[in-house]
Amino acid sequence: MSDVHHEGDSVTLDDGEVEMATEVVSGKSAGGLPVFTPQHGALHWLGRVLVFALPLAYLLMRVFGVTGIVGGGWSNSGLGLLADAFIIAIAVMGVNLITGYTGQLSIGHSAFFAIGAYTGLVLTQGRVSTPFFGDENVWDPGWTIPVAAALCFLVGCVVGLPALRLKGIYLALTTLVFVEAVRSILKYEKFEDVTGGATGIKGDKYTPPEYVFDFFGIKLPTGLDGRADLNQWMIYLSLALLLFIMLMVSGIMRSRIGRAMVATRDNELAAEVMGVNLSVIKTVAFGLSGAITGIGGALFGLKLGLVDADVPLFGLFGAITLLVAMVVGGAAQNWGPMVGAVFYVFVNEIARSIGEAPADYEAVFTITLIVLVAVVMVVVARYVMQHRNDIRANVSNGAWKAVLVVVGSMSALVAAGVMLLGISDGGKLDGLGGVIFGVLLILFARFVPFGAVGTFRIFRSRFVQIIPKPPSESRAAKAPEGVQVQGR
Amino acid sequence: MSLFIQRMFDGLAEGSIYALLALALVVIFRSTGQLNFAQGEIGTLCAFFASTFTLSGLPVWVAILLAMAIGFLIAAFVERVVVRPIENRNPGAVIVALIGVFLAVNQLSAMFWGVDARSLPSLFPTNADSFFRIGDAAIRWERVGIIGVLAVVVVLLFLLFNRTKIGLAMRAVANNQESSNLVGIRVGNILILGWGLAGAIGALAAVMLAPSAGLTGTLMLGPFLYASVAAVLGGLDSPVGAVVGGLLIGLLKAFLIGYVDFLSDMLFPVMLVVLLSVLLFRPAGLFGTEKVERV
Amino acid sequence: MSENLLEVRGLSAGYGQIEVLHSLDFHVADGEIVVILGANGAGKTTTMRSVSGMIQRSGDVLFDGNRIGSARPDAVLRVGISQVPQGRGTFTDLTVEDNLRAGAYSVKGSIAADIDRWYDVFPRLAERRDQRAGSLSGGEQQMLAIARAMMNRPKLLLCDEPSLGLAPIITQNLFKILGELRDEMGMALLVVEQNAGLSLQLCDRAYVLETGHIVASGTGDELLNDDTVKQAYLGGAG
Repeated sequence: MSDVHHEGDSVTLDDGEVEMATEVVSGKSAGGLPVFTPQHGALHWLGRVLVFALPLAYLLMRVFGVTGIVGGGWSNSGLGLLADAFIIAIAVMGVNLITGYTGQLSIGHSAFFAIGAYTGLVLTQGRVSTPFFGDENVWDPGWTIPVAAALCFLVGCVVGLPALRLKGIYLALTTLVFVEAVRSILKYEKFEDVTGGATGIKGDKYTPPEYVFDFFGIKLPTGLDGRADLNQWMIYLSLALLLFIMLMVSGIMRSRIGRAMVATRDNELAAEVMGVNLSVIKTVAFGLSGAITGIGGALFGLKLGLVDADVPLFGLFGAITLLVAMVVGGAAQNWGPMVGAVFYVFVNEIARSIGEAPADYEAVFTITLIVLVAVVMVVVARYVMQHRNDIRANVSNGAWKAVLVVVGSMSALVAAGVMLLGISDGGKLDGLGGVIFGVLLILFARFVPFGAVGTFRIFRSRFVQIIPKPPSESRAAKAPEGVQVQGR
Repeated sequence: MSLFIQRMFDGLAEGSIYALLALALVVIFRSTGQLNFAQGEIGTLCAFFASTFTLSGLPVWVAILLAMAIGFLIAAFVERVVVRPIENRNPGAVIVALIGVFLAVNQLSAMFWGVDARSLPSLFPTNADSFFRIGDAAIRWERVGIIGVLAVVVVLLFLLFNRTKIGLAMRAVANNQESSNLVGIRVGNILILGWGLAGAIGALAAVMLAPSAGLTGTLMLGPFLYASVAAVLGGLDSPVGAVVGGLLIGLLKAFLIGYVDFLSDMLFPVMLVVLLSVLLFRPAGLFGTEKVERV
Repeated sequence: MSENLLEVRGLSAGYGQIEVLHSLDFHVADGEIVVILGANGAGKTTTMRSVSGMIQRSGDVLFDGNRIGSARPDAVLRVGISQVPQGRGTFTDLTVEDNLRAGAYSVKGSIAADIDRWYDVFPRLAERRDQRAGSLSGGEQQMLAIARAMMNRPKLLLCDEPSLGLAPIITQNLFKILGELRDEMGMALLVVEQNAGLSLQLCDRAYVLETGHIVASGTGDELLNDDTVKQAYLGGAG
């Protein structure tokens, strides 16, 4: 009957096979996170922190130009980056509200970002007639922010209502098309009077107030060196708004609506049975999240002083950028967007500076190729070691897999070689940042589902667990509020 | 009238590209319930490979076959390494990872082949006089060729799904993975195969489009969106729907550009309206089965 | 060669960290019908799934004297064990005929004769060969599931709660068919059931499974007259 069966030969289960319909007992927890044991002492972690944090801090200082303080001057572009990070963080707060807390994946929030930015510039430049507001239709920049929020809320509700009735991929797809649709509308020549069409709006430079506050003679100048500096003002403004929105979001999440959102994410059916009106909750959440991202957009437009529909952050890549920052920071973590946005701006800047230095090309590619070869060799070697008995005993099963792995890795190497050929005619390292962020998304989705902040909380809770606690409040109490992107 | 026929062929040719891409999306959706957001970008990368191959002197059809093979490998790799480990976790994680693939693949091609347009020769004659006439309408052979490619792919897919044991296994896996396991189908291998197949079809769509559209890193961004709308319009689990939806979207686009002047720059807003209308009034699409999870 | 077709020793299995089956021992001889009786949650389905290789397990499973260590479902099928899953598990979007073809996935060579043969056994399926399996009634789907499993030409057929969701009269008919199959083909059957009355009449021997332990075993008649079994599964009346 069985030609694959010999006496005493057992059909073994490859550890690589995941086609079993059920979970396999292993050393990992269900979520895929390695199980960390609390046996390491504080010194161990202190060492870890020093090893990782010090270089990170150094790099941060380099990128944001904070070393300039020591040197006696400010690096203005560094301050601009910091302001960008806070502004992006606000936009990410919006994505986090709908995707992290409510579990509805949106890949289209850059559209709200664009709408917010355009709103800010359209109003401050007096491009629409607003009879009862503004001085000769020209608005004070500050007042454009709530208008942007309100507009984005409305648009969010209109787009969200149909898409949110269906499950995950439909909203993701709809938001993707939404981004391109908004860009087309912004570029549309019939709306040129308002949006500036393909060329966009070039506004006057936004002049920041001289003092951050002027309160009974207590004055805090906007620029620390005495001059009113836009970047520094934007840092104050966006940081203040960011903190305000973080407070607001954590307030929402503690309210009835917030609990309904989390319930919707964790189990839609259960939530509905408990009396949550799913479509209302999802639509309100989507509108709110759009409004928050719109606030970020308005700040972005005001800081930049010009907008056009081809600004990268307004398009598809902007949407992905927001997603990257949310995932890296940690979905459903209140501090996640800030951490993620700073991380994004920081890595993007490094990647950009590498891309601009053409001399490093060959070194980078040589290193990449060496690493690739090394990885392939290690993988093949490990596979052969793990399966050597299989390969020896069961030729029909083990051998063709080994051949497959070898052939696969060889073709990967050939592909890498062909790519290297490609660069010789004028390729650039422009895409480095994108590649890094793409790979980060893949890795975080698999290995760090709780993001940086969520993982930090887990580590912290491991510390706390060293001290015995009553079982009733041990795990549940210290687990992060919501630790998954979506669903169970 | 002749203009109408010409536009119709333009639309059908463009629609054929969307139909191919939508077919690839449907093949994957049926087997794993995922929408492969990286489908278009994998195709673009393969088209770049094809252009490098033709530059090195290979005949066009060999370059296209090689590109399809690369598309197969990349998509199969994505299924096994990126999607499978997290597919049971939650749908959001898979989408996030696929968006990561989208970004990485897109930027990889920008990194290695630059941002300037490359040339990729067409499989079909593209000379100024490579056309035939229906009445007054001049129909370019290239257009007919692309429509023909779609027809061939549809026939081959039909034969694969309905006349072979592997095809039966693919349909079985799409329907019920647990039972497929029980009748001895190696579900994992079938899933890899399905993704690979979709990758190859996506690559084919890209190399068909590249000669006329110009090969840049953004080659498939728009077509992917059109194809996704087409797939939803036809029904995400219906291959027939993908073809019909793709052709309909292609025709709609050609006629909007040709006849409705004020909408010719507003194609994406129109697509958004189409998409939202389908989701509102017929979530299963024209040919899909009515079991879309409503919530 | 041991005399038993299927010999299970110390079978433990579970999901994740939770062990459901605790070291079960049972066997099925050639041509025998064996029933494993148990209430909800006793571990019946887990037993089936661990024998057919759908989940990880520990312990020895010998078939025809060969050890099946911890096998994948396709390897288990190739040695001659087919399973009719709980809830029938037909491919609802495929036609009846395609369901049968899929059932013969592990079989090499022509299967046309097998298909005709099962159409003879189940004429209802022949009438509906081009219909989607999802359009069949519950009883017809159960027949389809059995025919699909038989397409693999098994020596041992595992049936997971075949009576689930079927009207009593259809269940009776189904058990009759199962008995006839055994008689005609000399095939062995391992059936897990909640329906003690019917299944104990059908079987040669039976085991009683409670919370992952085998708590009683014997011939069908013995267990039918056993007081504890009567109380637990036959409503006391018998």
